[in-house]
Amino acid sequence: MKIVVAYKWAPNPQDATVGAAGAVDWSRAKPAISEYDPVAVELARELADATGGEVIGLTAGAKGVDATMARKAALSRRFDRAVIVADDSLQGAGSTELAAVLAAAVRHIGDVDLVITGDSSVDVGGKMVPTVLAGQLGWPAVAEVSAVTGGAGSVRVERAIAGGTQVLEISGPAVLAASTDAAVPRLPGMKDILAATKKPVQTLTVAELGVPATGSTVTVKGTSRPDLKARKGQMIDAKDPAAAAAELVAALRGTGAL
Amino acid sequence: MNFELSEEQLLIQEMVREFAASEVAPIAAEIDRDHRFPEELIPKLAKLNLFGVPYPEELGGAGADNVSYVIVLEELARVCGSTPVIVSGHTSLGTWPIFEFGSPAQKEKYASKLASGTMLGAFALTEPGAGTDAAAGRTTAVLDGDEYVLNGSKIFITNGGYAGIYIVTAMTDPAAGTRGISAFIVEKDTPGFTVGEKEHKMGIKASSTTPLYFSDCRIPKDALLGKEGKGFKIAMAALDGGRIGIAAQALGIAQGALDASIAYAKERVQFGKPLAALQAIQWMLADMSTRIDASRLLVYRAAWNKDNGLPYGAEAAMAKLFASETATHVADRAIQIHGGYGYTESYPVERAYRDAKVTELYEGTSEVQRMVIAGSLLR
Repeated sequence: MKIVVAYKWAPNPQDATVGAAGAVDWSRAKPAISEYDPVAVELARELADATGGEVIGLTAGAKGVDATMARKAALSRRFDRAVIVADDSLQGAGSTELAAVLAAAVRHIGDVDLVITGDSSVDVGGKMVPTVLAGQLGWPAVAEVSAVTGGAGSVRVERAIAGGTQVLEISGPAVLAASTDAAVPRLPGMKDILAATKKPVQTLTVAELGVPATGSTVTVKGTSRPDLKARKGQMIDAKDPAAAAAELVAALRGTGAL
Repeated sequence: MNFELSEEQLLIQEMVREFAASEVAPIAAEIDRDHRFPEELIPKLAKLNLFGVPYPEELGGAGADNVSYVIVLEELARVCGSTPVIVSGHTSLGTWPIFEFGSPAQKEKYASKLASGTMLGAFALTEPGAGTDAAAGRTTAVLDGDEYVLNGSKIFITNGGYAGIYIVTAMTDPAAGTRGISAFIVEKDTPGFTVGEKEHKMGIKASSTTPLYFSDCRIPKDALLGKEGKGFKIAMAALDGGRIGIAAQALGIAQGALDASIAYAKERVQFGKPLAALQAIQWMLADMSTRIDASRLLVYRAAWNKDNGLPYGAEAAMAKLFASETATHVADRAIQIHGGYGYTESYPVERAYRDAKVTELYEGTSEVQRMVIAGSLLR
């Protein structure tokens, strides 16, 4: 079974700071594997180990995605190999452009049974790439995937829905976006880190994949936190529970909450 | 010269930092308060190959270098003073002598289990009446047919009660002083060998420190490590490497105390501004950081020397001397910055203060380190 995990080399939120006005400053954030992508790796690895398959890491971005540190960090995550589309034309690429390049790379890899992604990227958080990628490939897309079993040609997928779990059976290839809690990602061990440099990597450009260059038409103008309403900080003395409950109900009614 | 860590070392640092934050830091205060050996951490540390960092992969180790090893200990010590002692007592003292001096049969039997962390190792040199003065040891080993018979006791043994094997020194020729000391591998369930009650210590309370007792304890002749009379040499060589580990532990404790002090100085407001805006605090932080950086350079240099086949005895002693005295100084300043809160268990600097002190004592006191350094100067 051939499983591709599409991951993003994105700024590490642990290095980001939030200004007094709520704007997120990513300028000092060092890049790392995007926060939720290790969950996708874990799902893929478990499935591949159960079926004797391989897990291929796939990413696309400006040339930094092919830096030796980026390669080692990715391959220490228990990929068998990696395919990296490194091209400065992808600087600031939007979901549509990125998904088109990833789709071409998946076709280039060939005979892929599944593409698994994280829930969303930590820097953009658009949740669009898996769906657009599936559309490009003409494959079904399933989001919020909490478990996947089976083998090449047919997989059983569980996905979280409001108030329960939906079970799907998919024949043929598909794109799955893992829910953030689908699996507990493992940290790479010492041996994984030291073995990373020995794993095969194929580097490609957008031109080599034959994808027409398109500039992004979407520009992020700013990010800020929502305005917070001032809290009332009203304290209710609970010595007499019945009176306290009545006072709480009255207060909630007074605000229109009840 | 190149002062940069390699990409692998940076990734190892990142991995251990994440592990320490998610698995060790949340329990650090509790295991200290309850004097509890964190048994649940052992398989987790083993899974990340942290019990055999500098040993070859084919023998169960991670196949990394000694600089990576000190990075591992430093990162663990930033959040917990006890956990790195479990790792370094095992790696540098309980395992290294077997890799370095063990017979092929001994390596076959123990190396893989130790380096993979499925078995912990310990090292027993110190006796109630023989600390720095190892020649005053009274534990004896007498050859009787195909067995040695051990009698005596050891004290302050790290990983006591949790180790599967103990490297134990004993006198095979009491009249010969240090040349009459031999080293043996003693398995935990050997009849005649018992582990005493844990010491109640000032710091590193989650690390198990126990006495060991040997009463007509019979071990096979082939449990002798190296040759008869070489035990002191083996012990001193192990301690040279062990000191790099303790220096790394001290470095991490100091860094953790500085991290906590910076965070506190930024958030604590007095006189209408954060403590960090006061020059008195800034100067304390600057001095702490400078000493820590100097310690780090000494610690990494000693490990680098070992990796590159260069002499490292004096360098390890310098690293341990400076890093341990830095740790106690920095922890003291950290409490000063925290004021009264720093004297309570509500902040980690109180624990760092207690944990730091032992780094000036074990695996050779600061005075012993000065003896080693002076000895290398006056040869």
